[in-house]
Amino acid sequence: MADGTGDERPDDQMGDEAREALAAELSELLGDAVVESHVEAGQNLWLRVDIEQWHAATTALRDAGFAYFGFLSAIDWTDAPEGRYEDTEFDAAGAGEDDDASSATAEETVRRGGGETRFQLLAQLHSPARHAAVLIKADVPEADGAPASVPSIIDIFSGADWHEREAHEMFGLVFNGHPNLEHIYLPTEFEGHPLRKDFPLLARAVKPWPGVVDIEEIPPELEAQLEAEVMAEFEASGAGA
Amino acid sequence: MSPPPTASALREQQAYVAAQAADARVNVELDTGDMTLNIGPQHPATHGTLRIACQLDGEQVISAEPLMGYMHRGYEKLCEVRTYPQCTTLINRIDWLGSFANEVPFILAAEQLMGVEAPPRAQWIRTILFELSRIANVSLFLGDMGVQVGALTPVFFAFRDRERVLNQIEEVTGGRFHPNFDRIGGLKDDIPRGWIAETHAVMAKMRGFCDEMEDLLMGNEIFQTRCRSVGVIPGDVALSYGLSGANLRASGVDWDLRRDANPGLAWDQVDWRVWTHPDGDSFARYWVRLQETREATKIVDQLLDGIPSGPIMAKVPRIIKVPAGEAYVSTENPLGEMGYYVVSKGGLGPFRVKIRTPSFSNISVVPWVMRGTYVPDIITILGSLYFILGDIDR
Amino acid sequence: MALVDKVKLPKPLSWLLNFGRARSLWVYQWGLACCAIEMGAAFGSPRYDVMRLGVIPFPASPRQADLVVISGTVTDKMAPVIRRLYEQMPEPKYVISMGSCANCGGPYWDSYSVTKGVDQVIPVDVYVPGCPPRPEALLEGIVLLQERIQREDMQERWRGEPIVVPTSAPSSTRVPAPPGASSTASAVSAGSAQA
Repeated sequence: MADGTGDERPDDQMGDEAREALAAELSELLGDAVVESHVEAGQNLWLRVDIEQWHAATTALRDAGFAYFGFLSAIDWTDAPEGRYEDTEFDAAGAGEDDDASSATAEETVRRGGGETRFQLLAQLHSPARHAAVLIKADVPEADGAPASVPSIIDIFSGADWHEREAHEMFGLVFNGHPNLEHIYLPTEFEGHPLRKDFPLLARAVKPWPGVVDIEEIPPELEAQLEAEVMAEFEASGAGA
Repeated sequence: MSPPPTASALREQQAYVAAQAADARVNVELDTGDMTLNIGPQHPATHGTLRIACQLDGEQVISAEPLMGYMHRGYEKLCEVRTYPQCTTLINRIDWLGSFANEVPFILAAEQLMGVEAPPRAQWIRTILFELSRIANVSLFLGDMGVQVGALTPVFFAFRDRERVLNQIEEVTGGRFHPNFDRIGGLKDDIPRGWIAETHAVMAKMRGFCDEMEDLLMGNEIFQTRCRSVGVIPGDVALSYGLSGANLRASGVDWDLRRDANPGLAWDQVDWRVWTHPDGDSFARYWVRLQETREATKIVDQLLDGIPSGPIMAKVPRIIKVPAGEAYVSTENPLGEMGYYVVSKGGLGPFRVKIRTPSFSNISVVPWVMRGTYVPDIITILGSLYFILGDIDR
Repeated sequence: MALVDKVKLPKPLSWLLNFGRARSLWVYQWGLACCAIEMGAAFGSPRYDVMRLGVIPFPASPRQADLVVISGTVTDKMAPVIRRLYEQMPEPKYVISMGSCANCGGPYWDSYSVTKGVDQVIPVDVYVPGCPPRPEALLEGIVLLQERIQREDMQERWRGEPIVVPTSAPSSTRVPAPPGASSTASAVSAGSAQA
């Protein structure tokens, strides 16, 4: 576990030593494609590869036994301008309590495997034979305010087809070599890329959080009256007997 | 007694018959134009609003392309504007037949980031509820597969017996469908008195239900001819498409996250086995799910007998704030591998949640597996792949 | 139908007709999301047994249905399809909106792809709240709808949407006339029905 108690999770079947060894082995296998590798104790293994070698790296990993395709997605690392749209008392209370540590969190401690671009590509591959999984990442550079196109891995993993279409729809990433880069979820006339942080949720912008506005203060005299009524009913029902 | 014909023998036989028929009609076959058949988005046989656009040549499918998004609700975006406890409520509703199982990997990912571990008692009860939702989920499939081939009786049995499992879940969590019971650091509540004995009885009933389904459907000749060597997915294709759960194991791949990458629940404490089937056809998928339901009842029985005593919640702050970092946790849900990639920048809510749902990957094999099949098989293959629309579209 | 359309029925007769209509509702199930399973439990499972209320849950097409239960989240992509299938149902038709999502968007009130309530697309008669509602709740919704049908003025209901008839058609006694047609037609039809 990450909290420094020292003992491994009893259920962590892979073990951190094996994970470190795997990281070293894969870094050697992929050569200079690997920019950075990161092992989080008791959790997972991240490899950040060069975007130019995304295709070559996934091919090499598949040939090394990581032939089970997990998922492919992306992350937008900018902060949403609206935040969580909420300035409720609850939020304020939460922010005030112990904010000194988390608000000062530097970007590099968040990103496993490092990187500084706005968009990062993310995929997971399993190796059923070795009972191991690896998360691979790649920085997507930006050109003219839009993310540069990235290589498609649909010819390596057929399952990447829909995942790449989803990433295209949600983040506006363009996958070179994908034959059918169309909307997968949203109607064809939909504009924008919802999972980009600058995509606003209009309902939130125009409507307050319904869970908060529902609570209405009961006037004290009404409350006393209601309580008296309830108590009268309670006693009438013979509960006192 | 001679053994029943294997799937490969049947396939050879069918290939032979098809070749003979092709020879016979070589001179009389008329040129038919391709036809587009649209199934859905609302169709009595597709459970949910999946739409499939098929290109047909006569009775044969040239291509089938699932068109989705009719149930896209935008979970990943909505999670970004909610706190962690609020996310749990939402995430319940992804795979609405096994709701409790949806919560678990998300909670585990958040716990991993916080460095919190639930006490053993909470983990055991989590595992029990997890397996109960698996039974509630898959038992509906076991009955519903009958409807796909035209047998209506099994689904009534499934609804009848499923109610018993839902009752047990409701008794603990207060919710039939969406329990919202899992908390970061443990569970909301302990199990009620008398629940263990009742659940034992229900598990015995569910094993009876499995036997019933075996008699009613698997031994049925029509069911076998409709499902054997139909919709065959070889193991390497299944891996490449990222199939998971029973669909993967029915293709002969021995991979179960409960055994192979246990994220911290009590499966390693009990005695059970992973079932695989080498054929990869619709029948194999049904068979594997049936065995798994049986196995799940056994897991629950064993877990019930050994629940450790102790607290139900670990010490967590009143307002949940998750330290910055990234974590990916996946579990073997009723439909397959469900994983949550949680990115936190510190604060009340997650920064980004990538939800890896099993049905999305499972259904992505449809264009591959449908090619060359016949129209009546479309629905049986879809049914045997077993998807939940909310799980595809999210 | 023409009879009902034209004349004010005597109360016992309209009561009887309403009684019959309320207890032979053909339901077209529109299972969209989680609620569909609870609807399936209400309609398909032996425990809840909806047919004792006179509700017949399995018409194959909206053209045979009197009632549609919209159960689940309505997305912007789905809404036009719902509208179209609703238009295919014959009058008089009723709609039950089941679950928070169909009522108002529910937990997806802030989503970019969810329609905030099916009543933005089609008119709704009964709302069943819950997420999802229990099967019993849906049954109560159906009972409420039946009470409503029982009290209904059929004349008004039928006038809800005009039935379009080709103008060149002969003024046959059997052809239902649109509202506002000549009074002679209604007299003839009334006479023929009495005979």
